[in-house]
Amino acid sequence: MLHAKIIDIKEKKLSIKKAENFISSSNYGASIFFTGTVRNQNYNKSVIGITYDSHDTLVTKSFQEIYNEADQKLNIKDKSVYIEHAKGYLNLGEISIIIAVACKHRDQAYLLSRYIIEEIKKRSPIWKKEHYENSESTWLKGNPIINERN
Amino acid sequence: MKIKIELFGVSREFSKNNLIEFEINNNSTIKDIRIKMIDYLDQNFNGNENFKKIINSSAFCSQNNNIVSDNYKITKNEKIAIIPPIGGG
Repeated sequence: MLHAKIIDIKEKKLSIKKAENFISSSNYGASIFFTGTVRNQNYNKSVIGITYDSHDTLVTKSFQEIYNEADQKLNIKDKSVYIEHAKGYLNLGEISIIIAVACKHRDQAYLLSRYIIEEIKKRSPIWKKEHYENSESTWLKGNPIINERN
Repeated sequence: MKIKIELFGVSREFSKNNLIEFEINNNSTIKDIRIKMIDYLDQNFNGNENFKKIINSSAFCSQNNNIVSDNYKITKNEKIAIIPPIGGG
């Protein structure tokens, strides 16, 4: 079972309670809640906020693919996964991503949670623009997405 | 024919409109789009080398939401998205 969505922060905030309601089931004995939040320092610069940009359709498609791959790569078939990522401007401490997973056993839940965030970092078209105390801002360098030139 | 390039991430710096329109020949490919975009940067940003690097390290996404290769042939009025290097979370 998967819930995967990009949330426009102008309309609503990400909610751990909603994630908990989605994955909660007596079928599962282990749940992990991962959140990413806006940090106040990066490369010795004082950060005051981050603007997140997203290609929404490709991102939700990538979340679905990552979820499906977990069946084969991690052999975790029975699972509940909730992924939401914010887009728009976030202040310090605000949640940019929630990954909530529920599995039968804790080793599966830890493995799955880590797998999902690492794959999102590599594959999901999301971009960050950091804003600093001195009024400057910059798009962070990212990783090129897999791109067949031929 | 006309096509629209939808801008994301750092490529949003290329235009205030969040997209760029180009006139291209029939049967043009993504490879041709890269060349068009570099010409555009030469004309509008004095050939800004950092911007040109972004073009060369970006992927492109078709209107039906697939990452496509440089040989992908663009259809009439298709909206293509540029996907610069990513980093969410």
